[in-house]
Amino acid sequence: MALIEVKAETTGMVWKINVRQGDRVSEDGTLMTLESMKMEVPTLAPEDGTVKEIMVKEGDPISEGDVIIILEV
Amino acid sequence: MEFEELMKDLEERKAKAQGMGGPEKLAKRKAEGVLNARERLDYLVDDGSFIESGLFATAIRSEVRHKSPADGKIAGVGRINDREVAIVSNDFTVLGATSSVINMKKIRHMKKISIQRGIPLILLGESSGARMPDRMGAAGRATMGQDPTEYMRMREAPMVSALLGACYGSSTWYTCMSDFTVMRKGATMAVASSRVTSIAINQLVDPEELGGWKLHTEITGFVDVVVNTDEEALEIIKDFLSYLPGNSNEAPPVYPVPLESNERSEKILEIFPEQKNQVYDVRDIIKCIVDQNSFFEIKQRFGKSIVTSFARLNGKSVGIIANNPKFKGGAIDVDAMRKATSFLVMCDSYNIPLVFLADQPGFLVGVAGEKQGAPGRLINWLNALTLCTVPKILVIMRKDYGQAYLNMGGGQNSDEVILWPMADLGFMDPSVGVNVLYKVTEKDDPVRFKQLQDELARDTSAWDLAGLYEGHMVIDPRQTRATLIRLLEIYRKGMNNGVGKHLVQNWPTSY
Repeated sequence: MALIEVKAETTGMVWKINVRQGDRVSEDGTLMTLESMKMEVPTLAPEDGTVKEIMVKEGDPISEGDVIIILEV
Repeated sequence: MEFEELMKDLEERKAKAQGMGGPEKLAKRKAEGVLNARERLDYLVDDGSFIESGLFATAIRSEVRHKSPADGKIAGVGRINDREVAIVSNDFTVLGATSSVINMKKIRHMKKISIQRGIPLILLGESSGARMPDRMGAAGRATMGQDPTEYMRMREAPMVSALLGACYGSSTWYTCMSDFTVMRKGATMAVASSRVTSIAINQLVDPEELGGWKLHTEITGFVDVVVNTDEEALEIIKDFLSYLPGNSNEAPPVYPVPLESNERSEKILEIFPEQKNQVYDVRDIIKCIVDQNSFFEIKQRFGKSIVTSFARLNGKSVGIIANNPKFKGGAIDVDAMRKATSFLVMCDSYNIPLVFLADQPGFLVGVAGEKQGAPGRLINWLNALTLCTVPKILVIMRKDYGQAYLNMGGGQNSDEVILWPMADLGFMDPSVGVNVLYKVTEKDDPVRFKQLQDELARDTSAWDLAGLYEGHMVIDPRQTRATLIRLLEIYRKGMNNGVGKHLVQNWPTSY
């Protein structure tokens, strides 16, 4: 088991969080949706794993590279 | 020696040389589930087609001659699906397939055959770097290289590399000269081995961190496809070659068209979102357009807001460059720029027509991109695009904003421009433009903002671009496949039978 940081791919705002702490997720599953460049841009799980911690809440402004979720893989 | 004895001696020598590094080392590999160098060759080429060159070559130093069959690099020519290829398969069981005075002659000979006879060169990599005793002292310097064209790449014929184990030295150099690289998970590629590197920098270095599949598929972009087994890697090489001609003076081969290929066109409007702010995976759209099961993605894990893939339209190879809104909303970052450029250069060098599918909000702006040299990378791409002489067809699916409009084939940078009715043309999203041009935000003055936004959104439709004859046709998206096939029938014609001018064939093999 290892912890990995999922980072925001773009600068924008957290539009919707699609998972809860403890959820099992599959690679490429949507973790949250960011609003960026007038688009709803999904943040996808880089690997299969479990959501360990959610670092942001809906409506938060975020910058590219911000850690938004910690996954246990 | 009498003839009979002489022939017996020949057979015994053959058997010994074909025994590679001996049964013990071969058994160990088998236990690890990894093919040996000759098994890889057998798997790759058509039965009975391989003719070996240099079976009796050995190390140059007398003290290791007896234990260096084929000098650790097995070379020859064979056929893959009836098409000739030159191959070098590194035999790690013989002195770690270290690069030596003699076996580098074998690689050079295969490269020469590939270029002069116009057949692809395939390198199955697994080598631990330079054979140090061959390389020490002035004598080592004086026997190194000996061919000023060794690292010259003119893309006369395709070069393919597989990373199938620890790859340092020659396996690394030849990979970075190749048109295409497949890597097996667990293999590594770096300038020098983790041991040498650890000694040199006095820090313990993890091989996977130094040159594992994640590094090369996601960060460096050197690896085009990653797989789990040797067999999968060899299958991928066969697939890749099926899209390419044997050399740059030929058109790519033509394959039968699966019967169901026209059926998926109908699905496009089910997959494509009606809402402008919704994203989708452009690969699902591409699969609706191209021949069934012909989608072959290159650098899937790198620069993901652009998809580069080979595919077939009516049995004939095309190269597709598509924006993928699923990643970064389709905004084009530096990795995506590098990826697009290297793909353009490859397609143009091997006479593969280009299809652009545009839906992008512009280049991804920001400090990170500038630090990576974004302006230089995007101009490289544009320069390559303008030098490409293969047919280029642009399909504008939805938004096509900013300077990136040119990179995606707009502004006369392609031969034909097809518009979908959803096309949205402009320099940036109108709601962003209001702030940039008039310094008015929605929060501060919603009424004025809406008025200005509506003004900026005018004259941005497919009909407007078609009215200016910058779009040559507006079509139902479900007609995209049929339209592309028909246009390519016309554009492939010409005095040169589909062979381009190759103005970028000497461009770098990495960006």
